[in-house]
Amino acid sequence: MIAFISTFIVIASLVLGVVGVVWAARDRLIDDGVLALSAALLLALIAQAGVALARSEPISDGGERATFLAYACTLPLVPVGAAFLAIKEKSRFGMVVVAVGAFAVLVMTARMGQIWGMYA
Amino acid sequence: MPELLRGRAPDRTQSTGAGPGRLLVAVYAVLALAATGRSVMQLVTAFDVAPVAYLLSALAALIYIVATIALARGDATSRRIAWLAITTELVGVLVVGLASYLVPQAFPDKTVWSHFGSGYGFVPLVLPVLGLWWLARSAGGRG
Repeated sequence: MIAFISTFIVIASLVLGVVGVVWAARDRLIDDGVLALSAALLLALIAQAGVALARSEPISDGGERATFLAYACTLPLVPVGAAFLAIKEKSRFGMVVVAVGAFAVLVMTARMGQIWGMYA
Repeated sequence: MPELLRGRAPDRTQSTGAGPGRLLVAVYAVLALAATGRSVMQLVTAFDVAPVAYLLSALAALIYIVATIALARGDATSRRIAWLAITTELVGVLVVGLASYLVPQAFPDKTVWSHFGSGYGFVPLVLPVLGLWWLARSAGGRG
């Protein structure tokens, strides 16, 4: 894993999560800034998936390796899905979805980091 | 105008996939994504390690996918499918959760539902309760 990418993902998902909560509290809809941040997060998640696929050999436990690779490959779909639902939802719950998606990215990335830390 | 509007009977029916329901769909989608990816990889790369656990995870993933789609669609048929899927999910998490404590040797690796979903922050236990509550609440004036 590249620490820079993981750190960026954690920070970006935290910022996106906070923005989601604040926007929802203010009853605001998704805007260009939130979309840009989601896109940046998506790019980082794609990069992380590439690195994870290329460097997963040290994870010797089959189940843990499966979790690691599965999370790496499915994570990029989360910000895309969250942004799609937020665009469709014309109420504050659209931004709550963005916040929940960001939280999911944070938790799944942390779990990947935990697995990587055990074997690398 | 407000006086005229005040006399109008409120429409209490609500789509299961709109408003707060959109949040539920999002959480189900995330869980479906995580559980599907994980179970597919486990079945492909490590099936021999814990076949029962991994098959149960695959079943859970399938139920999450069905529930996500049914909640997102929200029509009458989808609503019935959602009731069925989410009830199955609740029974599954309770039965497998209890079994994983009583017969731990049957679960050498964790499933989504083992230990009542502790590996996923107990979201698998709370989610079906919220899902059934939302289905009942959003039914509103459907009689």
